[in-house]
Amino acid sequence: MDFEFTKEEKALQEEVREFMKKESTPEMLKETEDMGDIYGGPEGRKIIRKMAAKGWLTPTWPKEYGGLGLSDVASYMIREEMGYHGLPFGFVAAHMAGPTILRFGSDEMKKKWLPRIASGELEFALGYTEPQAGSDLSALNLRAEDKGDYFILNGNKLFNTSCHIADCHWLACRTDFDVAKHKGVSMMIVDLKSPGITISPLITMAGWQTNEVVYEDVRVPKENLVGEKNKGFYYLMAALDFERMFPLGRYHRVFDELVEYTKETIVDGKTLSKDPLIRQKLAQLSTEIEVTRLLYYQLAHILDKGGIPNYQSSMEKTFATECAQRIVNVGMDILGLYGQIKEGSKWAQLKGKVEKFYRTSIVETIYAGTSEIQRNIIAQRGLGLPR
Amino acid sequence: MDYDLNEEQELLKKAAKGFLSKECKPLFVREMEEDPQGITPELWQKMAELGWMGLIFPEEYGGIGGSYLDLMVLLVEMGYSCLPGPFFSTVILGGMTLMEAGDEEKKQELLGGIAEGKIFVTLALTEATAGYSPERIAVKAEKDADAFVISGTKLFVPDAHLANYIICVARTKEGENKEDGITLFLVDAKSQGVVITPLKTFAGDKLNEVVFNNVKVPKGNIMGELDKGWPIVKKVLQKAAIAKCAEMVGGGQRALELAIEQVTEREQFGVKVGSFQAVQHHCANIVTYLDTSRLMTHQAAWRISEGLPCEREIAMTKAWVTDSCRSLVALAHQAVGGTGFMEEHDLQLYFRRTKAAGVYFGDADFHREALADVMGL
Ligand SMILES: Cc1cc2nc3c(=O)[nH]c(=O)nc-3n(C[C@H](O)[C@H](O)[C@H](O)COP(=O)(O)OP(=O)(O)OC[C@H]3O[C@@H](n4cnc5c(N)ncnc54)[C@H](O)[C@@H]3O)c2cc1C
Repeated sequence: MDFEFTKEEKALQEEVREFMKKESTPEMLKETEDMGDIYGGPEGRKIIRKMAAKGWLTPTWPKEYGGLGLSDVASYMIREEMGYHGLPFGFVAAHMAGPTILRFGSDEMKKKWLPRIASGELEFALGYTEPQAGSDLSALNLRAEDKGDYFILNGNKLFNTSCHIADCHWLACRTDFDVAKHKGVSMMIVDLKSPGITISPLITMAGWQTNEVVYEDVRVPKENLVGEKNKGFYYLMAALDFERMFPLGRYHRVFDELVEYTKETIVDGKTLSKDPLIRQKLAQLSTEIEVTRLLYYQLAHILDKGGIPNYQSSMEKTFATECAQRIVNVGMDILGLYGQIKEGSKWAQLKGKVEKFYRTSIVETIYAGTSEIQRNIIAQRGLGLPR
Repeated sequence: MDYDLNEEQELLKKAAKGFLSKECKPLFVREMEEDPQGITPELWQKMAELGWMGLIFPEEYGGIGGSYLDLMVLLVEMGYSCLPGPFFSTVILGGMTLMEAGDEEKKQELLGGIAEGKIFVTLALTEATAGYSPERIAVKAEKDADAFVISGTKLFVPDAHLANYIICVARTKEGENKEDGITLFLVDAKSQGVVITPLKTFAGDKLNEVVFNNVKVPKGNIMGELDKGWPIVKKVLQKAAIAKCAEMVGGGQRALELAIEQVTEREQFGVKVGSFQAVQHHCANIVTYLDTSRLMTHQAAWRISEGLPCEREIAMTKAWVTDSCRSLVALAHQAVGGTGFMEEHDLQLYFRRTKAAGVYFGDADFHREALADVMGL
């Protein structure tokens, strides 16, 4: 047993932290927060391309595709640090689509896309959800007609978040309507500037944007089909497995700032940190953050051993996101009346961060599979209970 | 990072599981709850022959020289089987205190005896004030020529009824600093003035009231230094806390299995109850509590084994495992339904034991408060 990083991993962690502190700009931090941590904005692209040049965006990938051949532990550590230091950390191309292409794509596809993903040049947007297909993705029916050399696409996507700033759509569509639902789905990479695509903003309660996307006779070359036609549901599930891990870094940072706040803030003649109830709550959260850390690196450990995490990904995703919600809820309670005041006012505490993340936190247990879906997976896949 | 047990630990785990499944069946557990001794000499001897009692003692004291992590592996299995008897008190509370503070002669004499299964030692720490902070130590030891005279009452002393020796944590000096002025005495349990009265407890383990009526103890029986006993107690308490966590994790594993067995067999409304989503989500929560408790316990035990700083991890772990394992057994009861409430169903053994384990060596609130200190709050 060993629950610490290796010497090399520790050294890398230091280097990564130094880099992030040095290269972060106020503009990048603001952009990232305003966009809900996704990648693709102009400021984010600057810093991430520098980071990617070091191989840190896709450290586990083979060198020929722009990786470093490092362990998953190292990769998970970098992603944790990105969240903690306010860099974008939601990467569709590098962390969801890329690994799926690496596993299932043709050599040509790998050569064409992976190096540009690894360098940070390209970002994708996740294209799964449709109005009638939320938790049940097998109900998706954006139609792709096979025209020989190309497909023609028609239909609607909902809540496809990065579409307004990403380069390509990582799109799940229906190529066969006459077979069992999950046997007629294909995955494609679509240039988001293709004629016929209309992207309309949907603004969330956290202030950032997701989108509604309409496809009208959009032409997609055959070479953009991922793997085999009609096997897309399988790839989609694999990509979801890559997505289902949640680095707590962003919320961990909020927690650390909250702890400092309680040490500095004097109420009724003593610091908040001496209040027995607050001590209990913060100690509890600190414990849950540690639990999350163990669940998180367990995933990396399983991958490094050559395995594929089973129910453990669902467990980590659920635990981490529910922990995130508890952190900001306790944060709001500790700030009390001040918690309501938004960034910008001289009375705002912690730059209004807590209320901002309090709003964002709601969606963490909804997207990438709701907590209920994750618990179904834990019970059925993990414990073998009947479907 | 490596989350796995090593090969020897896997073997130890398997062997212990095999042995206990034969020698420590649930019926036996129930018998021992009623039995005044709480253990049979036969089982105790077999355990000694397997080397369990000497597992963590160095070879020069008749032990096997295993690590704390090895011990944890064993404790998980003991928790799984609800092993009754004085293993915990003798090996962990007695043995570890001796290892920390015993002089060479005592170690030679007693650790070997423990390893052979011939000597029982326990720790008399808590009192009527029922807590684990130095402020709560009031039993007095007063100097009298070449000896000390102990007077006062210790409460919740495990397995004192079997003990050959009782390590008594006594106050030898009053002062502002409550950590100062505490001394450990190795007391022969047959000394005049020692009165042991068993307590009836809800987990069926053997806790006792131990009254010291002016018990005379030679100066040479001080363990460690006069007045400087608390740091030793603290170290032992930390190891004991994680050892309890290991037991709870083992018990939690069994509770999960009992729940899964029931919900995959029992049918209602024409289907297995395990196909109901409400039940599935209970089960998902159970395994989450269990896995996280296991991970936390492994990490803390690993840090103790490696001699790394671990105050933070110990506090977190005892708090987390205490709350989680309690909740998981309660959820298991909910999933199992009325059958699990019957005395003859094994789940109830775990429900009682987990709560008892939770209050030993500091409950969750106690450890969160300790953690708050570590966090500099
Ligand atoms: C801000 C935001 C950004 C998003 N970004 C993207 C994106 O970039 N790309 C993309 O493809 N999607 C995206 N999504 C969609 C997201 O993945 C879905 O919202 C999510 O999967 C849940 O689907 P739903 O909202 O339709 O809820 P529903 O599926 O309608 O669920 C409603 C409730 O029913 C429960 N429920 C549903 N099915 C079951 C079941 N089988 N068992 C138990 N309970 C069940 C759910 O847990 C939930 O509580 C985003 C969503 C949001 C809100």
